[in-house]
Amino acid sequence: MNVLFLVVFIAASVLVVLGDPAAFLPALLAGASRAVALCLTLAGVYALWLGFLRVCKDGGLLSGLSRLLRPPVRRLLKTDDAAAEEQVAVNFAANLLGMGGAATPAGISAMRLFGEKKNEYARAMLFVVNCAGVQLLPTTLISVRAAAGSAQPFAPVLPALCCSLAALLFGAILVHLLYRKRRCA
Amino acid sequence: MRVAAYVLPVLFAGVFLFAAVRRVKVYDSFASGAGEALPLVRSLFPYIAAVLILAELFEASGLSLKLQQALTPALQALGIPAQLAPLVLVKPFSGSGSVAVLSQILAEYGADSYIGCCASVLYASGETVFYLSALYFAGQKKGAALPAAIAMAANLFAAVSACLLCRL
Repeated sequence: MNVLFLVVFIAASVLVVLGDPAAFLPALLAGASRAVALCLTLAGVYALWLGFLRVCKDGGLLSGLSRLLRPPVRRLLKTDDAAAEEQVAVNFAANLLGMGGAATPAGISAMRLFGEKKNEYARAMLFVVNCAGVQLLPTTLISVRAAAGSAQPFAPVLPALCCSLAALLFGAILVHLLYRKRRCA
Repeated sequence: MRVAAYVLPVLFAGVFLFAAVRRVKVYDSFASGAGEALPLVRSLFPYIAAVLILAELFEASGLSLKLQQALTPALQALGIPAQLAPLVLVKPFSGSGSVAVLSQILAEYGADSYIGCCASVLYASGETVFYLSALYFAGQKKGAALPAAIAMAANLFAAVSACLLCRL
């Protein structure tokens, strides 16, 4: 990340200087204020979902959910950390249902728990699963298509699910191969 | 779509009622959960700021456009039409950006055309990898590079299969 940040930043800065040096600071400030606006939005979204999830947890629903998802989660992530499993279960379920606001905080807290245990395999796998974007009903896509006047706004839902699952499988195999090799080396 | 609109109200009301029956103080419990939101966002803010500042500079400098032009032939070789290159390249960085690009593509080529189909499937079969990696690996010294590279490869694989699937 450090290398990528530096390389992209320097390359882009050189291009700006060659083109229109006056655009440099406004661009940076625009990015910074977008970050503030995004964080404010996220604070609201996360407050709602974290509140909802706490009620689920106190009502005993999360332990039920994580019991339900335990076999696949354990298989996939090679973990036996009960606290992290619960967060992963929430993350998976929320992703499937398209509730990104609930998925992200749970995912981050699972990542932190795995980080404490130095379980790099689980972290990589959880991240790759999240990046595949497997979602049962992509609501944004459907509304954008409907807005564009599509006759069949739902047409790509199944192909999209197939492609996400393909990406998930592909990514999972790569994680499996690369992280196992690393452990041996 | 109609049915989907009922899911959330039913879910929320159902969970709150269920918790209340189990003698959970729903209001207190909700408030204590919601209180975690600000510390979480506070811990993510520095990384979000760095990533978005970089993304803005990337866009404004024209580097993004240059990269798109440079990568278009490579994407075409993989069977991804040139019209979709902007979507493939914006996707990893920005969720709102890719919605904008998607709407643009659908408006220009028609939502039910081949390009529109590819764009839709492509949009829905992947996530904003770069942005997510900033959040998920926030504050971790090492270990983001390899997972991010794997996720990028997986998303590219999804993009290639999206264009294949739409051709059927």
